[in-house]
Amino acid sequence: MTDMSDIAAPEALEEASFLRDTLRTFSRNRMAMIGLIFVVTLVLAAAFAPWISPHDPYRVALDEQLLPASTTYWLGTDNFGRDVLTRILYGARISLVVGIVPSLISLAIGTVLGILSGYLGGRTDFVVMRLADMMIAFPSLLLAMVVMYTLGANLLNIFFALALVGWASVARVVRAQTLALREKEFIEAARANGTSRSRIMFGHIFPNVIPTLIVLFSLSIPEAIMWESSLSFLGVGVQPPEASWGLLVAKGKEYMFQAPAVAIAPGVAILLTVMAFNFIGDGLRDALDPSMKD
Amino acid sequence: MNQKMKLLIASALTSLAMLSPAVAENMLRVSYSEDPKTADGQMTTDSYTLPLNIFDRLVESETTAPGESALVPGLAEKWEVSEDGLTYTFHLRQGVKFHDGAVLTADDVVYTFDRMLNPATKALNTDILTFIAGAQDRLDGKADSVSGLKALDDQTVQITLAQPYAAFLALLAAPGASIYNRAFTEAAGDQFGLTPETTNGTGPFILRDYTLNDSQMLEANEDYWRGRAKVDRLLIRVVTDAETLRMLFESDEIDVFDLDYAPTQTPYFYGSDQWKDLIRSGPRVGIYYYNINQAKKPFDDPRVRKAFQMAIDRQTILDKNFYGKGALENGVMPRGLTCYAEAAPIEYNPAKAKELLAEAGYPDGVEIKLQQAANWSPRWSDMNQIIQAQIAEAGFKAQIVTTDEAAFMAARKVGETDNYTQVWSADFNDPDNFFYTFFSESGSKSRAYNNNDPEVFADIERARGMTDQAERCKLYQDLTTRIVDQDAAWVPLFSLDHSYVVQPRVKNFVVPWNGWSDMNYYNVEVE
Amino acid sequence: MLMFALRRILVSIPVLIGITLILFIMLNVVPGDPIALMMKEHGSPEVIERVRAQMHLDDPLITRYLRFLWDALHGDLGTSIKLNRPVTDLILKAFPNTLMLAVCAALVSWLIGIPIGILSAVRRDTFLDRFCMGFSLLGVSMPIFWSALLLQYVFAMKLKLLPVSGFYGWRYMVLPALVLGWSSAGVISRLTRSSLLEVMRLDYIRTARAKGLGEAGVITRHALKNALIPVVTIMAIQVAGLLSGAVITEAIFSIPGVGRITVNAISSRDMPLLQGAVLFATVLVILGNLVADILYSVLDPRIRAQMKKEA
Repeated sequence: MTDMSDIAAPEALEEASFLRDTLRTFSRNRMAMIGLIFVVTLVLAAAFAPWISPHDPYRVALDEQLLPASTTYWLGTDNFGRDVLTRILYGARISLVVGIVPSLISLAIGTVLGILSGYLGGRTDFVVMRLADMMIAFPSLLLAMVVMYTLGANLLNIFFALALVGWASVARVVRAQTLALREKEFIEAARANGTSRSRIMFGHIFPNVIPTLIVLFSLSIPEAIMWESSLSFLGVGVQPPEASWGLLVAKGKEYMFQAPAVAIAPGVAILLTVMAFNFIGDGLRDALDPSMKD
Repeated sequence: MNQKMKLLIASALTSLAMLSPAVAENMLRVSYSEDPKTADGQMTTDSYTLPLNIFDRLVESETTAPGESALVPGLAEKWEVSEDGLTYTFHLRQGVKFHDGAVLTADDVVYTFDRMLNPATKALNTDILTFIAGAQDRLDGKADSVSGLKALDDQTVQITLAQPYAAFLALLAAPGASIYNRAFTEAAGDQFGLTPETTNGTGPFILRDYTLNDSQMLEANEDYWRGRAKVDRLLIRVVTDAETLRMLFESDEIDVFDLDYAPTQTPYFYGSDQWKDLIRSGPRVGIYYYNINQAKKPFDDPRVRKAFQMAIDRQTILDKNFYGKGALENGVMPRGLTCYAEAAPIEYNPAKAKELLAEAGYPDGVEIKLQQAANWSPRWSDMNQIIQAQIAEAGFKAQIVTTDEAAFMAARKVGETDNYTQVWSADFNDPDNFFYTFFSESGSKSRAYNNNDPEVFADIERARGMTDQAERCKLYQDLTTRIVDQDAAWVPLFSLDHSYVVQPRVKNFVVPWNGWSDMNYYNVEVE
Repeated sequence: MLMFALRRILVSIPVLIGITLILFIMLNVVPGDPIALMMKEHGSPEVIERVRAQMHLDDPLITRYLRFLWDALHGDLGTSIKLNRPVTDLILKAFPNTLMLAVCAALVSWLIGIPIGILSAVRRDTFLDRFCMGFSLLGVSMPIFWSALLLQYVFAMKLKLLPVSGFYGWRYMVLPALVLGWSSAGVISRLTRSSLLEVMRLDYIRTARAKGLGEAGVITRHALKNALIPVVTIMAIQVAGLLSGAVITEAIFSIPGVGRITVNAISSRDMPLLQGAVLFATVLVILGNLVADILYSVLDPRIRAQMKKEA
């Protein structure tokens, strides 16, 4: 439900200056910068988790169950005696992948279909838009659940389910922009030059939707992370012993009263990460959307 | 449309106006994690609280001591069994009334059992009655009545079996064998048991309100033949979320907290000064086990199966994951079951397991799969993770495979699942309920054991018809040795106690003999 | 206007049929047996087989689909396999509860979202702006079951201000509405903010300012009226969205709504019930969108003209 349709595309601006402007505006947005620093740190921490943490995330040590925070276990241990902080670090890998991969897939599908639909119009447009209507009308969480229940709960199907849920809104936004771009002079000129349709669509229109796509991307990552946590709560998300943050919270909830950190810590991780991505997204939107600049 | 809108608004208003179920005098408030769906015991195989409280059976199994039961007269005052074990004659109690005032007759009993076997009913609990002569023909639609069911007069029912079946009486005490009234039930049709208006039994409580996914309200039956229940009302709430349930209990909105729904809260309640004396606990006639599918390599080799048995540290799982509330089991029959006897203990010995694996040709260990279903309770994936870590020491490199429950069921039906862990609790107090389920010819395949031992198959069939109880028990104990000790076809883990925490005002709360969450609340009192 | 509404409804019909077809195929081509699932561990293969046949679950896929469509056209969504009750009944009984939750949640989201959005827009690019937007984001950034648990713990268990769970009066509605409403407050506040900022750039606001009206006067008397148009129109969509988003809230707070039914239907492969519930939810989303469009056109004359053209 993000209001993206009002982003105007930068036409064929001079790329270098456009980039410079964007970066300047973005870096002036303090929240966005904090978000970016947070996300970069997180990605690094997740990537180098084995080198950062001295603990094994999968080790089962039943005599060290639900220990309170200590110098060895900074956030205590879970019901299998695993270090909570280490679980969160490794969970970050899965949560980030679950955020990024489906977003990329739905972006790819949505962009191609959106441009085709907007540029070609006619029957293509009708079919694509009805398909999109269907996906948007179908309650997202239910659709994802149906996919997970029927195809089975594993990482690959989570990608599929979330991409299926996400592509339609991308397609709509891209279509709207394509419609606007189609009437622009530089596209008219290309058409007059006899440039092929596919070249116009993907050589001329596509580059102009990229800024929007970047914003959409940064905003759909946190959304996917949230969807996955809901699926985990319902038991059809990532399966143990692997763990996404969503699963850590859903599982940790059982120990809420004995060892609150087991559920609260990964919840805070989700909270901070989702907020960080949203700040980045907002920052990008402000920076990339000339209409928002004074 | 307008009419419908009015309806919607009206029901929205009533749902808001409904009274809060806060402490009302003499009301017992309990909860279950899922809606029972129906009060009709013929139509369910897993939610028995409504049938147990609204209806009676010919025979009842009464809890005599923790984990022990006896078959006592119910609607049948007394009964005789013929020498050959084929004919059962039940003499009904005089003057028992249904909730609508109708008097119980032998015809009602015949009707009830015929209804279950009538294919138009689409009943799920038909296994209870398939031993009756002519039952199969009725189920298959080849007959309009069941030849083995007869009302000799108003108070006498005669049931003839097709073959002797030692556990038949125990089966008649199962909630699925609840007795209905012919006239009422016929009129209610397929709506029977779904609403208060279409439910009618002889039991201690009358169904007064049923809101799907929310609650059922039962009221004491003033004319109950055993005398009125101790509480005026019984409120059964549906609470899905375990943490929510615990908060409800601690805010005194629920009287009985079933630790089965929130096992992780066990240490808290046992350790709490406020609650530890309010815990009611009893053994459960049910066994946690690990399935072994012999159709999957390397489990075709008995040495590997033996190694698998020995590689699991059951005591640690019991102590750490179930807080020590239970006992190890070494046989097919858990404690509390008729014919139960101590079986040869299974040793935890990873070193020896490793040797056995080497003997079987896997000196460097072997890769295996353990299966679980995604929407099962987290208890199972927890156990699998622990077991996966434990058996690694013996050389089993286990991969945990998670599938959807529906896919799991479909694969298991044709005997193709990988080893999985589950629990089986007694439907009725007889070993046949365990042996037949797992090791009969059909059970062995459809539960993915593939323990194709013709002698075991034959013995299980033979035991069903034996009338000498001592001899029969001996046979089951021998079968246990053969299946568990010799063939290592089954990994018994443990049986757990079932613990409940009750509010101080709840008196006379007794854990039922079988340890079920579904129970009869007739004797419970509230101060 | 009528033409426009009619056209929109006609266009939705293939969408609806498409959705039912996709559902039907998805839930039927993969293995999964509602009877086996219903009987859990206690099902014997013979019984499962027999009841399947009795319920016509073994008929060919296309036969069952056509039967479903035909009955649905006659207003009959069939009978739930697991609950053995008419699907229409089940949904109509559960819907008021879900609707109540959704409307209360929407109210909460407006109460939080609109003031925050205005404040942010007025104090644009200040610390207050960032703080407000951050606050409204908080709700979106927490898994619902997690925030629900925290709120239950604090307000019900520790402070004893509100009941933990259940659905027996308005006090029971507060926590679920708060949890669900907060989770969509972020959208409302952002929309309010951006729309207000946009309006304030327009000529007539500049005129009002030039006339010497104070900033507060400009906003309340002129800008807000127009800025809230998109916010008002999104409300209809939002309520429809919340209806389907209530799944988890209902589970945690034991509210007997449509969401519970749907989750149950999915996990038990209860095809008729799932079809009915999803169809219902989808119709609501489509209706919500339609209402939004119509509201928009009523409130904004520019759009009305365009609609006439489209129709």
